[in-house]
Amino acid sequence: MKALRVILIVGLAVAMDSGRAGEPNNPDFGFPAPGTYALPPLRPAADGVVLTSDGRATTLHRVFSGKIVILSFIYTQCSDARGCPLASAVLAQVGRRVDEDPALSQRVRFISLSFDPAHDTPAVMREYGMRFAPEGADWQFLTVTSEAALRPILNGYRQTRQKAYDMNSTFTGTYSHLLRLFLIDERAVIRNIYSADFLDPTLLFHDIITLARQCCRQSQSAGLR
Amino acid sequence: MGKSFSVMGAVVFAAGLGWHAMAAADETCMSPYMAKIVGQEDYVYVWTLGQEGVGDGHDKLVTIDVNPESGTYGSVVHTLSVGGRNEAHHGGFTDDRMHFWAGGLDSSRVFVFDIHSEPGKPRLTKTIEDFVSNSGGVVGPHTFYALPGRMLITGLSNNKDRGGRTAMVEYTNDGDYVATYWIPTDGDLQGAKKSGRYADGYGYDVRALPRRNMMLSSSFTGWSNYMMDLGKLLKDQGAMKRFGNTVVLWNLHARKPRKILDVPGAPLELRCAWGANHNYCFTSTALTSKIWLIHEDASGDWQAQAVADIGDPNKVPLPVDISLSSEDDSLWVDSFMDGMTRLYDVRDPFHPKLRYQKRIGKQLNMVSQSWDGKRLYFTSSLLANWDKIGEENEQFFKAYAWNGTELIERFAIDFAAEKLGRPHIMRFGARALYAQAPESHATQVAATSP
Repeated sequence: MKALRVILIVGLAVAMDSGRAGEPNNPDFGFPAPGTYALPPLRPAADGVVLTSDGRATTLHRVFSGKIVILSFIYTQCSDARGCPLASAVLAQVGRRVDEDPALSQRVRFISLSFDPAHDTPAVMREYGMRFAPEGADWQFLTVTSEAALRPILNGYRQTRQKAYDMNSTFTGTYSHLLRLFLIDERAVIRNIYSADFLDPTLLFHDIITLARQCCRQSQSAGLR
Repeated sequence: MGKSFSVMGAVVFAAGLGWHAMAAADETCMSPYMAKIVGQEDYVYVWTLGQEGVGDGHDKLVTIDVNPESGTYGSVVHTLSVGGRNEAHHGGFTDDRMHFWAGGLDSSRVFVFDIHSEPGKPRLTKTIEDFVSNSGGVVGPHTFYALPGRMLITGLSNNKDRGGRTAMVEYTNDGDYVATYWIPTDGDLQGAKKSGRYADGYGYDVRALPRRNMMLSSSFTGWSNYMMDLGKLLKDQGAMKRFGNTVVLWNLHARKPRKILDVPGAPLELRCAWGANHNYCFTSTALTSKIWLIHEDASGDWQAQAVADIGDPNKVPLPVDISLSSEDDSLWVDSFMDGMTRLYDVRDPFHPKLRYQKRIGKQLNMVSQSWDGKRLYFTSSLLANWDKIGEENEQFFKAYAWNGTELIERFAIDFAAEKLGRPHIMRFGARALYAQAPESHATQVAATSP
């Protein structure tokens, strides 16, 4: 059932990727070619203490490791197929395209960070990652130790999250949140922010290429076009 | 697995807040990146221009209780003066709906209000004083349009000649400047294709269709005109030539102009359709009194055409604000000079049909509707130097119910008698957006998701 759900979500993501943004009739109105537009710096990407999926404590910036990062905030109990699961499915598509270029894939890392520390332990995140991340993908699934550790990270990324309560004022385990993804460059500066409602794998992929080309030192040696 | 969440009455979170948008309307005029109130709103925030001799004479954010179940329904529950008269005009929420940004067309100040901590009592948290210098000379911040984590602000003018040449300016939600995008002109097309005669470089409103990777900007006039007395302006033939005649099509992601469409006669508000396959937007032209349709054709290119008259164009009713329903089936169009609101059936967007009209007041500008289209709110002021004078200068906020056949007034607030000023843009607030119970409700109401 889990596999079927993932297949359905990926199918939805593929369907969303086709016939969008003016394709195929008028490429002038499609997504701009990589490197033909700017991604101005927005602000430094916040740091914070996190747990890897094997339970090791580290910091976000150490996980960035000087790579181009796409950071998403998710929680594994998200029951809306068009929320966190869809975002993860779209990232999986982007990841497959990145991995087609070995030089590029060395410079890119995906990070999914849970904002539900009570449920999303390292083991839970590891299992979630196995459902979405293509084998061999550089995709880290992180969590935090506590709400106290989470708060400065959410504040740093201006990520809102509200716990949902039932009529007995009992926490239901679900959240309402504005799902955002962040494109972070190799200097840990946020360069773009995406809404889950309009998350297109081609757009993300083009942005990654655009960033990669801007760092001339490695792009020339990697022969990126 | 069923999901339960806290709601107030029928208020439900939409678009990006953990589950898919059910879509639904001034709620219908906002950025598609933003959470929307699809049920009962609690408040209407009214950005109000100060008027000399009226109350403190300062621009202010007025909060009106519009929830019929509230003990203070129909009354002003909070006012927040920002000091001075800036030519308060328009404002907009950030994508997370935590803050409301509002601008002054004269001072070019931008005011940022916290409307999430206590939705019934907004707080001023930041004033951006360097919009003009940061942007490279853009004057008159007009539309505040939410992008993910950022705000796109249209200008109306510039600090060199105070004419209509202007740009759009991007800021982070924190209030940090990002970039300026000048509207293309004949001398600076920036790769845009001219479709006809005009490339005036003027600005006014902006709207986006992210799924088509496009946005549109419209065109009005510069500071030297909008700050001039209207009677004097109408007699100035030279000044009357300096109004916008274009709608510009942009590549949204690249922020680059692609095509300049001729839409003569000052196209003002832009409203894009919500339907998944409805690739079109409406605007209205103030000087020529027409509804225009901007639409994607079969080849994927975008075109503009006039599709209906508004009132009798010879009488220059001066169409101003428009509001498209969440189902894309009806379009409200207000006109300033005759104080009328007109409802058009736009199920066939190429052939709008007038189906209802009503005089709201002696002058009329803004209209905002609830997502389900059953509640409409109107305000009166256009610009301090363009509003009527004497007995004709009614300044009001009016709330109506729309039953599908007629508008029925629910309540009205006289902004002059209440010593508030000239009411302009309206935006909705709801406590449930921030998981708060209304003050009149001690308990939360739960519901399961569909």
